Amino acid sequence: MEDAGTIAAWAAPGREQTAAGEEGFKRLYEATSRPLWGYLHHASGRPDVADDLLQETYCRFLLRQAPAMDEAQTRSYLFRIATNLLHNRSRSRDDAAQEEPAEYGVENDEETRLDVQAAMRHLKPRERELLWLAYVEGMSHAEIAAATGLGALSIRILLYRARQKASGFLRPQRIK
Amino acid sequence: MKRMGCEHETGVIRALHSGEWTRELRLHVAECPDCSQALHLAEALRAVAARAEVHCHPPDPHWILQRSRRMAREIALRRMGRLMAAMRTLAAVYVIVVAGWLVRGYAALQYREVAAAMHGATREFGLMGVVVAAVCVVAGLWPILRQGSASR
Repeated sequence: MEDAGTIAAWAAPGREQTAAGEEGFKRLYEATSRPLWGYLHHASGRPDVADDLLQETYCRFLLRQAPAMDEAQTRSYLFRIATNLLHNRSRSRDDAAQEEPAEYGVENDEETRLDVQAAMRHLKPRERELLWLAYVEGMSHAEIAAATGLGALSIRILLYRARQKASGFLRPQRIK
Repeated sequence: MKRMGCEHETGVIRALHSGEWTRELRLHVAECPDCSQALHLAEALRAVAARAEVHCHPPDPHWILQRSRRMAREIALRRMGRLMAAMRTLAAVYVIVVAGWLVRGYAALQYREVAAAMHGATREFGLMGVVVAAVCVVAGLWPILRQGSASR
């Protein structure tokens, strides 16, 4: 979880114009850019798209001059912008094939990688987003609702269905 | 009613993130198929996320700041451009309407009689007012109309 002061420092209007505001933004960026990139990469399935949308997300965040927010709200707000950009992108594209889940590098736990990849391939983009926000980012249902624009009550059901679907592709848990 | 997951699932995922497991929670996960499934999936996804981070090379934040300022300038320019276009349209409409009004209305409103009724200082003062108003209107409209014709 990010340093609480990092995002709280990013509060005053017109903040990015000052040196302190710039410094605050840099800290915010360092704390949030990697998780956000991971989310964009996972949901879009392409690292180049994740790179583009990451820049676009922060530019929009800076341009919108949102009111003062706490750490969790800022994080949700960034994920909300990123989710909207992902949806805009998928709406503007005709070839659904581009929406394949991400290919990850071959590393030690090859089985897990292949299982997750197979699972993600069979999920809808929205389901991939929900699983990522809940299980990788550890967001609560309310935070996921804020980040995706879905109703808080429907998150539980959608997440349950997505989990059931994804778990079908994972090998049984090894005993630790 | 159909079961939609376990109420402890959020707590389990939170514990996975923080590493703060309680004995009760561990026991619950061992017994609850929903929580154990959620935990298994979360661990797999987090492992994949950790590996994917190797490929993440976010650009310099300074560059993002500069790009956002450039975008802000472009947006402001576009907004001003729209405002100027609206002003040009209004100016053109104003010129046409005033020209029509002067040509048609001059006879109808019998300005000659009004002007003839004026005399001495009143007449000079009135004429000066008309001239000053005309100069102000032309000086105000000229750059706007000229810019509009130049941009076309």
